[in-house]
Amino acid sequence: MYVAARGGEDAIQHAELFYQAMLGKLTPEAVKLIQQQLPFLLDKVMGEGSLYAPDLAALALAQTGGDLYEAVLLLRAYRSTQPRIAYAEPVSANEVLTVRRISAAFKDIPGGQVLGPTLDYSHRLLRLDILDGIAEDEVPVAPEAENPAPPTYPAVADWQRSQGLLPTIEPDPIEPVSIPDVTTDAVLFPAPRAHRLQALARADTGGVLALGYASMRGYGLIHPTVNELRLGYAEVELKHPVTGAAFSAGRVRVSQAEVITSGGENGKAGYQLGFAATMGWNEVKLIAASTLDMEMNSQEPHPAHSEEFVMYHTEPVEASGFCIHFKLPHYVTFASSMDSVRKVIATFYSKDEKPNQQPETATEVQP
Amino acid sequence: MMAISNHQSNHRFDAPRLVNASPLVQAVGLSKRYGAIEAVTGVNVEAYPGEVLGIVGESGSGKSTVLRLLNLEEMPDSGTYTLDIPSVLGEDLYQLDRFARREVQILNIGVVYQNPHLGLRMRFTSSGNVAERLLITGERTFATLRQAARDSLAISEFPLNRMDDPPRVLSGGMQQRVQLAKALALKPALLLLDEPTTGLDVSVQALVLDTLKRLQRERRMTIILVSHDLGVIRTLADRVMVMRHGRVVEQGLTDQILEDPQDAYTQQLVHAKL
Amino acid sequence: MTTLSDLAQPRQDYSYGFMDAYAKRELRRRILKAIAIPGYQVPYASRELPIARGWGTGGLQVTLSLVGPESVVKVIDQGADDSVNAANLRRFITRMSGAETTTDTLKATILQSRHRIPEEVMQEGQALVLQVPDPEPLRGVTADMSKAHQLHADSDYGQMWLLLYEQLVRYRQYIQGASYPSLVNGLYIISPSPIPRWDTPKLHQAAHLTLLSAGREKRLYAVPPYTDVYPLEFSDVPFQVEDQQGWVCKTTGVQNKFMNELPQEDGTSQYELSDSGYAEKLVKNEAVGATYYDDQGDFYYDGYLKPPVQPSL
Repeated sequence: MYVAARGGEDAIQHAELFYQAMLGKLTPEAVKLIQQQLPFLLDKVMGEGSLYAPDLAALALAQTGGDLYEAVLLLRAYRSTQPRIAYAEPVSANEVLTVRRISAAFKDIPGGQVLGPTLDYSHRLLRLDILDGIAEDEVPVAPEAENPAPPTYPAVADWQRSQGLLPTIEPDPIEPVSIPDVTTDAVLFPAPRAHRLQALARADTGGVLALGYASMRGYGLIHPTVNELRLGYAEVELKHPVTGAAFSAGRVRVSQAEVITSGGENGKAGYQLGFAATMGWNEVKLIAASTLDMEMNSQEPHPAHSEEFVMYHTEPVEASGFCIHFKLPHYVTFASSMDSVRKVIATFYSKDEKPNQQPETATEVQP
Repeated sequence: MMAISNHQSNHRFDAPRLVNASPLVQAVGLSKRYGAIEAVTGVNVEAYPGEVLGIVGESGSGKSTVLRLLNLEEMPDSGTYTLDIPSVLGEDLYQLDRFARREVQILNIGVVYQNPHLGLRMRFTSSGNVAERLLITGERTFATLRQAARDSLAISEFPLNRMDDPPRVLSGGMQQRVQLAKALALKPALLLLDEPTTGLDVSVQALVLDTLKRLQRERRMTIILVSHDLGVIRTLADRVMVMRHGRVVEQGLTDQILEDPQDAYTQQLVHAKL
Repeated sequence: MTTLSDLAQPRQDYSYGFMDAYAKRELRRRILKAIAIPGYQVPYASRELPIARGWGTGGLQVTLSLVGPESVVKVIDQGADDSVNAANLRRFITRMSGAETTTDTLKATILQSRHRIPEEVMQEGQALVLQVPDPEPLRGVTADMSKAHQLHADSDYGQMWLLLYEQLVRYRQYIQGASYPSLVNGLYIISPSPIPRWDTPKLHQAAHLTLLSAGREKRLYAVPPYTDVYPLEFSDVPFQVEDQQGWVCKTTGVQNKFMNELPQEDGTSQYELSDSGYAEKLVKNEAVGATYYDDQGDFYYDGYLKPPVQPSL
């Protein structure tokens, strides 16, 4: 017995049609155009969606009319259907094919400052001439450099370690398959560092920015200096399941940020680092996230910078989903609450008299 | 003079041996560090049933840390702590698991803090603050809770017509009485008082001290009282321990210490107060 | 010649029950653990589903990991089968599993619900999956999950009882609406999900299995069949369900079942059964099962609900 579509199901279908009518016709060309022309939007969606798939991200954006939270949810939900068939080898900063890499801590750094693609020093002027149809003939190309920049750069932190400014760290011999995974493990606190960094990598850009900004502005203890910010391409290196031979499954855009602050561990002289990395290029999120990473290490972080607070409240799918769930009917719970309120009114007030002042501690155990 | 060790001082001034009594509280060699700071070093505390032990010292002397250690709020880096109570006779309370330790604390130790925010839920009713102690132990009859709250507030000389006001709207002296009622709700063997009257008006302070004195007399309670105020110590304490820089510099009968201090620091302290 | 694509499995866009097999296996293990420790909140790695978080993804993950081609699924929201949200979930579950659907409580093998337990007594072999927005009954005591975890471990529920004490002092009665905190198997306090107080007693010594799952908060817990569930109440001031005495369903004429109140323009109210599947059977004159509350409003488990007492202060 299959219950035929009832009022509810019709309503859903019609609502979806209204929405689709606003978006116009979805074509492979439209999706392709989004993929080509909106790389930073794509990166935001892929990072938060924690699925590197530019074509699917473009499709998600096209399908949702650019509603970011909806697009991220589409990618995440698709991700839930895919089994994990392999684990890539860890990527080291030194191996990332770097196109932009700056440090605010030094005038110059080993390997040099590489400005790369950025609008940082451009005037933010709307190019109204484009609206007038004065189209660009072709894609602008920067002039070729006399000395081509090298593809990889050493990490600034390595230099600081060699100077004794930062503690040296031994690489963790853990196998990739054994690294705690926030998408398949139940998260408990204090969380393993892997969970924390993964949560930041997937976190909502706006949410991380809000908390990170609060921290930088004075609710935190730390004045961050950007030690290194890096945009580049990483090889996804896999091992063949039978032969064990390493091969590259392709390249993905990645970015990472490192902030540094004075004061070593346990009050010793020196510096410490905050770190964040994500798939795609998303500088503002990473600077904020790496600041939060460091802030969470402090002895008693501000409540808004504690690990639990940050990880729970910057999760884009959960935060946006819970927020919009208040649109759902709640009339049973409301009826239950109204029953209590009516009984209290009946206990304390005669029929015509309405209570004008709530007594103290008018709290339910839980809403 | 400063070099007197705790070990020596413990033996120089023996505690008054009450008739055949063994100490209720026996803590030996308590030490506690916070990072680089040595808050408490090698402190011994003994208190006999029905005795009021005062711990005196300036702020930073480690006296409040000792109280927190005795209240099992914090664990020391080293040291042992026993209470002469049938359920945990001869057991080092610091070795108990968290659950057992919490039970010992709830059933046997009452505490009054200087800052009422530490001891009270300011937005709940005063009676609820007291009743919570019984709720923790599993009392589930509302009428019994009300009666117990009323009784405990009454012996703390709290005006019962205000028992359902939240501490938030009460005066400092009244708040301390609610804390006291809460501390006494389960009739603990040991009462810890951390600067209970500091910050109160002198007249209010005197009234609260009167209540404490009367209660101590009537109930033969063992009290450990931390204060920087020698006046409070003189009023309540049978015996006093002087602390400085996390160590005990001198101890003995209150009259003896306050009239004839041996240690240079104690002399300074006593003379400053005179 | 054989080509590589001949050897490959045909592309399958979505696996059975939507989630990949590893995810379903994890869910099933967590469910078993939850059943083994009644009321204990088992953390799990909640997967994103194609409906928004907070819209029943917790319940849906449990349903998808239990559902099979032989299953008969009923989905309700606020008691109604035909609410937009319930319809949407039902459509998704059948689309991904091919399971039958029903509006008849007694025919369902899996009943996923938001905010209600049906009026007809559920039976052995049935699973009730409740969607949970907030699994933590101690949220009002501490917002910090790690601290709440500790409080549960210690059975440190004094503050929960204190909230009830305060309600009695202030209001002479418990004022909690839905999600009435309840003690399961004498050990853990749970939030029974935002079901009305009317439904809370139905969990006690129930013949069916209840699974409660919060997708966003990544916790699931269970009330196994024939397990004690008691709402928090002082021994001398009994817990009370919603008082709907005299409310008559405008469509079926029945009383003493949970009603929706429909405000009228003239300031009065009309009432209708909240359980739409039950109402449907009554309208069609079909046989109905035994109900938790009889026509006089008496609960089927004798002595569980007691007359109101107004405490004296």
